[in-house]
Amino acid sequence: MTTTDLNAAQTPRKNRRMPAEVNILLVLVGIALLFEVLGWIFQGQSFLGNMARLKIMILQVSVIGIIAVGVTQTIITGGIDLSSGSLVGAVAMVSMSFAQTGAYGLDRVLYPGLTDLPVIVPIAIGLLVGLAAGFVNGWLIAYTKIPPFIATLGMMVAARGFAKWYTKGAPISFPTESFAFIGSGMMPVVIFLLVAVIFHILMKYTRYGKFTYAIGANEIAARVSGINVERQKVRIYMVAGLLSGLAAIVVAARGQTAQAGMGLMYELDAIAMAVIGGTSLTGGRGSILGTAIGMVIFGVIISGFTFLRLDAYYQEMMKGGIIVAAVIVDTYRQKKGRKSK
Amino acid sequence: MKTQLTRLALASTISIMAASAHADTQIGVSMTSFDNPFLTILLNGMKEEAANHDDLELLLEDAQLDVPRQFNQVENFIANGVDAIIVNPVDGAASPRMTQAAVDAGIPIIYANHPPAEHANMPEGSSFVGSNEIESGTMQTEAVCEMLDGTGNILVLVGALENESAIVRTRDIEEVIAKEPCTGMKIVDKQVGNWNRTQGADITANWLTTGMEFDAIIANNDEMAIGAIMSLKAAGTDMDKIVVAGIDATPDGLAALQAGDLDVTVYQNATRQGIESVKAALDMASGKEVPGNIWVPFEPVTLENISDFQ
Repeated sequence: MTTTDLNAAQTPRKNRRMPAEVNILLVLVGIALLFEVLGWIFQGQSFLGNMARLKIMILQVSVIGIIAVGVTQTIITGGIDLSSGSLVGAVAMVSMSFAQTGAYGLDRVLYPGLTDLPVIVPIAIGLLVGLAAGFVNGWLIAYTKIPPFIATLGMMVAARGFAKWYTKGAPISFPTESFAFIGSGMMPVVIFLLVAVIFHILMKYTRYGKFTYAIGANEIAARVSGINVERQKVRIYMVAGLLSGLAAIVVAARGQTAQAGMGLMYELDAIAMAVIGGTSLTGGRGSILGTAIGMVIFGVIISGFTFLRLDAYYQEMMKGGIIVAAVIVDTYRQKKGRKSK
Repeated sequence: MKTQLTRLALASTISIMAASAHADTQIGVSMTSFDNPFLTILLNGMKEEAANHDDLELLLEDAQLDVPRQFNQVENFIANGVDAIIVNPVDGAASPRMTQAAVDAGIPIIYANHPPAEHANMPEGSSFVGSNEIESGTMQTEAVCEMLDGTGNILVLVGALENESAIVRTRDIEEVIAKEPCTGMKIVDKQVGNWNRTQGADITANWLTTGMEFDAIIANNDEMAIGAIMSLKAAGTDMDKIVVAGIDATPDGLAALQAGDLDVTVYQNATRQGIESVKAALDMASGKEVPGNIWVPFEPVTLENISDFQ
């Protein structure tokens, strides 16, 4: 195997990648401090010195964070995954339909014969649906050679259609307690952390990660050095689909409901988290750690706006501005870093 | 191979079109969105009434929250010569063009649920079936006012701002508390939750962290109210001390009401709106006179009368 060669080829890039995370961490600290100062001025209280607030900051973005871990990997290969938000809708519907309890009356249940199933059933079905959708994405991209943007755009439209068709638009609610537990309290954060740690290790220390970076950096070189590019791409998109499925289960459990419109625009937030976290849309560069920091930036912004009681009109305008500004700062600092070397 | 496929596709399209052209009466229905739980109930109401008429067929289209797409759908209905059109408008302000096109073609047009711009003065050949939005927020806030004896701090969860009912329902709250006996009530903060349960939960969790004192959360719909309840319970709040109010009386909302978490919701009879829309469409198609506005009243729901709605 050519693992050692790849390692050597990657060393200079690795050096550049480390500061990228430091940069984005500085952006995060800057934004948090800004809210801290504004908090003392306008609200007369600390923004960061509040445990409950720190918790909610992470909790409210961890579902999209789970998706972003998968999306980051597709972007590192030079691809993209636009289907994740719609997959959340589709998987939430399917999974929840096997997670209902009959305790509130069977007329509120989609499959009256299939109530109060063990929690593993809806989880397994949900993850399988996500995995299958990811396989379709990956297969289309790897073997028909259509651009990832188009393949996952197709899945995005189709999966949303499926989610609406599944119950003809009606929501599915009343899950069993064990299913609702998946989304209760800080569970979404725990699940995100598990996912992030697993894929941080996989991306950094295993062939899985090295192949992924190699494909994104130079696909032809990766192929020449013996990597089965097609198989790796299918794997990556299956992982992205699987994580969208997992996110769907968590979000449905958290809200204790599944609705066809769930996960709308999640794919764009996930992509924004990855890009803010230093993942390059041209491929070959990025990290799970960076994406996690990008996710926290999102959480800080959302909490900060409510904290300052800012009107929704301004919130969205400023969110857009902050996304672009964060990436400009990151790009600028990287350029400077490269020049000084 | 390719031409064969094209031919096959063409043939199946034509046969589908032929099959759908059987019924004597056709009503084109353009819905704002197929994935909104509330609008699904409205659509089911239409289907329920349509099932009572043997030779009636509903042609369903999903405008996917897009104004131009809805206009195209209406134009297609007109071109295909349907007998009547029911529009659940994406945006009330965009309705005059659709009304004009239908009226010019002599095809009756009925707006369902969401009032069109011209609802105060519907031209001949058009009508609006819905509930008077001013009632819902007013009923909701009056109920909260009664529970709080006219004084207290309230937080408001607002629906999506591009939606007129979010704006009207929020204005209703402000108008009720501006008058006696509710002048002791004060809005401490308003945040937009986009009708969404998760966002309602997140906003409420953020509110709780600021240590604000409040006695009630008034949400523009049940989904956001349920989200608020989840965060309140997660923070260990005594649900007897906080009044939570929603609108819509969805199945989830009623379950929360029964559990004692939600204190009041307002029932908008979407099924009846759907039924009345189809009835009006049939009446107009057969040349009968129909009033410009057909009102389906809102009804407040609390623990006392919940059994009427389940």
